Amino acid sequence: MLLEEVEYVRPTNLEDALAVLADVDGAAPLAGGQSLVNVLKNRVASVDLLVDISRLAELRTIKRTPGGGLDVGACVTYDELDRSPLVRESHFTLGEVAAHIEDQQIRNKGTIGGNCCLSDPTNNLPPILVALDAVMNLRSTSARRSVQAAEFFKGYFATALESGELLVSVTVPPMPARSGAGYASLLVAADAKAMARAAAWIQLGTGGLTITSARVALARVANVPVRDAGVEARLVGAEASDAAVRDACSVAAEGLRPIDDVHGSSHYRLEMARVMAHRAVMQAVDQATAGRNGSESARRGGRA
Amino acid sequence: MTERGASHAITVIVNGERVNRIVSARQLLVHFLRDVLGLTGTHIGCDTGNCGACTVVVDGKLVKSCMLLAPQADGSTIETVESLAADGQLSDLQRAFNEHHALQCGYCTPGMLMSATYLLRQNPDPSADDVRRAIRGNVCRCTGYVNIVEAIRSAVSAGSAGRAAAGAAEEA
Repeated sequence: MLLEEVEYVRPTNLEDALAVLADVDGAAPLAGGQSLVNVLKNRVASVDLLVDISRLAELRTIKRTPGGGLDVGACVTYDELDRSPLVRESHFTLGEVAAHIEDQQIRNKGTIGGNCCLSDPTNNLPPILVALDAVMNLRSTSARRSVQAAEFFKGYFATALESGELLVSVTVPPMPARSGAGYASLLVAADAKAMARAAAWIQLGTGGLTITSARVALARVANVPVRDAGVEARLVGAEASDAAVRDACSVAAEGLRPIDDVHGSSHYRLEMARVMAHRAVMQAVDQATAGRNGSESARRGGRA
Repeated sequence: MTERGASHAITVIVNGERVNRIVSARQLLVHFLRDVLGLTGTHIGCDTGNCGACTVVVDGKLVKSCMLLAPQADGSTIETVESLAADGQLSDLQRAFNEHHALQCGYCTPGMLMSATYLLRQNPDPSADDVRRAIRGNVCRCTGYVNIVEAIRSAVSAGSAGRAAAGAAEEA
């Protein structure tokens, strides 16, 4: 299948890339291309100039932030996230989510920035980034701004990015002691698309098993990952027991109407969203109590 | 910055040979390999990144060559299925595919071989589960995968037995 006629340019630094993206109508950034190339084949979008940002050194690094968080360049691939000792050490679940995206070939090219900017509701990284309260760092030729992940995803293939803006990195806050993350999906096949998905982050109090803070993001119940305030309110102050968490998650996705499709009815997806929320939170509890983010118990529970 | 345009001069090393060509910006790498260089071992199954028949190794990374534009490969080193038996001798892996009847129509085989080659470079002793995950991106509509997994696993033991025998011979 041939693409329509298109121009290509590969800037050697970020400033040049931003300038081209700002100056040329119909310019689009090309990172891993694992969705964009198909979009172009299918003529779903029309692009006049592809600006290849995939080799820009400024977008290719994973750095530790002073507090123990991560700063992940937009063009870091899923495979690099999966294999990064830095990611695994502090944010095990993020590495595990990346490790289960589709297949090895796609993981070698697809990028965290592309996964987020496409904002396909089936994409794996947006819900975990919302649960981890990540911050999306945007640049244009004249300005920089940061947007909370929960505010970045706006709808089907729509984000907070404005014309001429580029996502340059994602900052993931540190995981404090006695905090943990979890991620659970009901998949149509191994490492394939999810029918229901939840990502969770919880903080336990210093003594005992009381949840003092919680973030639960549901995917596939709406066009974008949604924080579930109802579940979070029920989790805070609750004991991190299976029964209490199940009870809190029983109200997940209330008022939402997931789509019906060949893989499952709206009603089924809603029920499964609750099951996934429960599993994700219990994984997070496991990780928090294991004391170490990359612990064996987290490893067992952390399958994406 | 490369010059902006609808065609680009690229230099790539394909199976050890340096190649300079002018490519159109919209040309897929798989079409460059097959139509320009005549390396038709790399197959096109779906053209949408789903089937893996076009899998090659670019700069040491396994990729689907229908999901990459030719200018994106500029400056890179590319290995295609033709590199596996470059001296006319089948590799251990290719022999194992033959012996285990790991192909019927053979259409997916070049991609399977490249994914298996990549796996064995990363993990010289993969479990059956590792093998299944490694060929997750390669679709075979004939075999049901069982013989492919067996072939790849037997290539591991053939390779390590071969290396052990060579080591023993050296010691003796």
